[in-house]
Amino acid sequence: MIAENEEYILEMLGKGMREHERGHMQYRDIKIETNTIPHAEGSATVDIGNTKVLVGVKLAVGTPLPDKPDEGALVTGAELLPLANAEYETGPPSPEAIEFARVVDRGIRAAGVVDTDALFIEKDKVWTAFVDIYVLNYDGNLFDAGTLAATTALLSARMPKLEGDEVIREGNLGKLKTNGIVTSCTYAKVSKNVLLDPNGNEERIMSGRLTIANDEKVVRAMQKGLSGSFSFKELTELVDATFDKSKQLRDKMKQAIGD
Amino acid sequence: MKIVLPGDKISDGPVRMENTIVENGKTYATVIGMLDESKGAFVPLESVWYPRQGDFVIGIVENSKNNVQTVQFDSPFRGLILPPPRPRFGGRGRDDRFGGGPREERQEVLHIGDVVSAFVKDVKRESDQIILILERPKRLFGGKLVEVRPSKVPRIIGKASTMLKQLEDGTKCTILVGLNGIIWVNGGNVALAQKAITKIQEEAHIGGLTERISELLTSGSINRGS
Amino acid sequence: MGGGKNKPELIVGGKRTDGRAMDELRPIKIQVGILKNAEGSAYLEWGNNKVLAAVYGPKEAQPKHIANPDRAIIKCRYQMAPFSSLEEHSRSGPNRRAIEISKVTKEVFENVIMLDNFPGSEIDIFVEVLQSDGGTRAAGITAAAVAVASSGIPMRDIPYAVSAGKAGEEIILDLNKIEDNYSEADMPIAVAPRNNDILLLQMDGSLTSEQIRKATDMVIKAGETITKLQREALEARYS
Repeated sequence: MIAENEEYILEMLGKGMREHERGHMQYRDIKIETNTIPHAEGSATVDIGNTKVLVGVKLAVGTPLPDKPDEGALVTGAELLPLANAEYETGPPSPEAIEFARVVDRGIRAAGVVDTDALFIEKDKVWTAFVDIYVLNYDGNLFDAGTLAATTALLSARMPKLEGDEVIREGNLGKLKTNGIVTSCTYAKVSKNVLLDPNGNEERIMSGRLTIANDEKVVRAMQKGLSGSFSFKELTELVDATFDKSKQLRDKMKQAIGD
Repeated sequence: MKIVLPGDKISDGPVRMENTIVENGKTYATVIGMLDESKGAFVPLESVWYPRQGDFVIGIVENSKNNVQTVQFDSPFRGLILPPPRPRFGGRGRDDRFGGGPREERQEVLHIGDVVSAFVKDVKRESDQIILILERPKRLFGGKLVEVRPSKVPRIIGKASTMLKQLEDGTKCTILVGLNGIIWVNGGNVALAQKAITKIQEEAHIGGLTERISELLTSGSINRGS
Repeated sequence: MGGGKNKPELIVGGKRTDGRAMDELRPIKIQVGILKNAEGSAYLEWGNNKVLAAVYGPKEAQPKHIANPDRAIIKCRYQMAPFSSLEEHSRSGPNRRAIEISKVTKEVFENVIMLDNFPGSEIDIFVEVLQSDGGTRAAGITAAAVAVASSGIPMRDIPYAVSAGKAGEEIILDLNKIEDNYSEADMPIAVAPRNNDILLLQMDGSLTSEQIRKATDMVIKAGETITKLQREALEARYS
């Protein structure tokens, strides 16, 4: 794929335009599919434009974290797969992948999507929920796609049973207990413009990035990335915009899980 | 005179001055320095050496290949000593490489690890870094290298080289000061020279420096005396 | 965040666990230039936090293929010493948290340092947390900003950082470790004060849009104090 000419994008922005005739505060088409990996306890594939992210959720029996002895654990990881983008390389997780996973994790955790209390089994024995984010195709805005896919996968996950030492993962199972729902909206700063849901071309030339994760009532997580800055005024405006824009994300998610 | 920090406004108008930037028509400092508002002068207290044509520098030969030496300055800039152009007439052909050419074309043979002084002939932006083309390279035999902050070099030299002369007289050393912050000290009381240079660096901003250095040099040579 | 079953009361009788008012900073002490090898360095005590910051360079970027032909690159390492916390000995070396903090700290300085002046070179920023008590990334950035300013590496502005958060329904400034563990929200922010540009912003927990406004106002006000302390520390070196 040839990267779009930087000046062309800036020239278009000067005329108030974006690729594919999108408005500055408009999402690309979003598609959410659940249970795409039936072997996993929960899974979801999310497309935002050409960005495609898959999340698989597995539950395993383990020991609790030392500072939280009476609740289960949540572990979130992200892989920027080499097949997703010519620029991704094999090797240990990059700082970018780690930041991505941790931002998604903070949103899910702060919104209480996973009820970790319900993952307690007995003393020194808890369930750990592993949320693995697989980036399959990169065209910008991984954060929103990752949060959408992770939350959807968790909300649609089944809860395995423990019979003796055996983990029962199939058959007549209940659902993973969840307590919240979270989505995120990511904005890119490109010269003086603020763009919702940046695509790959826009991300290549953005100076700064701001992700705001929220539920219906409150902001649950935020992360500013890259060297570019945002003003305090922009921050409060984007927080308000996020409460507005996130409605469609939650609706799509609820639709996908048949809620 | 007042201390100015990076980001402090120096002028409400745009002023072209070293170690400042102009943003929205106003001028701001980019390094810590002293501002003399009456004269509009801004002198950095700390700065990073940025090479200019004609700068006298001291470095260490880091590599030597195909008659080209690269010189390291403990900075992001690398120096290059190119072979002298072959004289068109009157050369002696093959024997040139033994230094047999006309006197002004002759260049010392330099090896890896040699300390050299040179002048910056050209500052070139290469594909991946800034390269300094050096001229009049001179190998410095023996001596000790003392590193200082490049922003202190003007104080070590002093107005019309007065401080440097004071240092040389007081220590009986030969002292060459590279603008890149590397100083070569040879002969005489090297330890005393180093002590004095360090003192200048540490106390450059405090008044009465010349007197204190003078005292140090006198007492230092007496102590050593005998 | 909000974890643990035995949640302590963070606010009793209108005061915080350490007696501070809601918008009160912990005491901050900054010392400039205590590491002789570094181009610039600072030691900062912020409440019980003890942080060392140092800057090296600009020097040739290593390895060569990471060099940027147009500007200097910044390498940044934030690390907590294994003995830094009141809790157990922690593994040394960078964990995922430290890698993320190193990245966002680097991005703060990519904004303010004039990287265009030094193509092909690298500038290294090190933040070592010797003792931790909540808010170490803010302390690290505040210290590193002073270290860079003392180095003569040209920069547009001297950033500061501090966090705001929420305990119960109160918006609080500069969370200590207990508050960090049990608060309803934590929001570290780094700012370039000249234009009030947000250079770092992270948050997790629960904040309404009105609470975010209140918290950011608190940060800007505290910034005046922190900026003044940074200034005094730098000036003290030359007087």
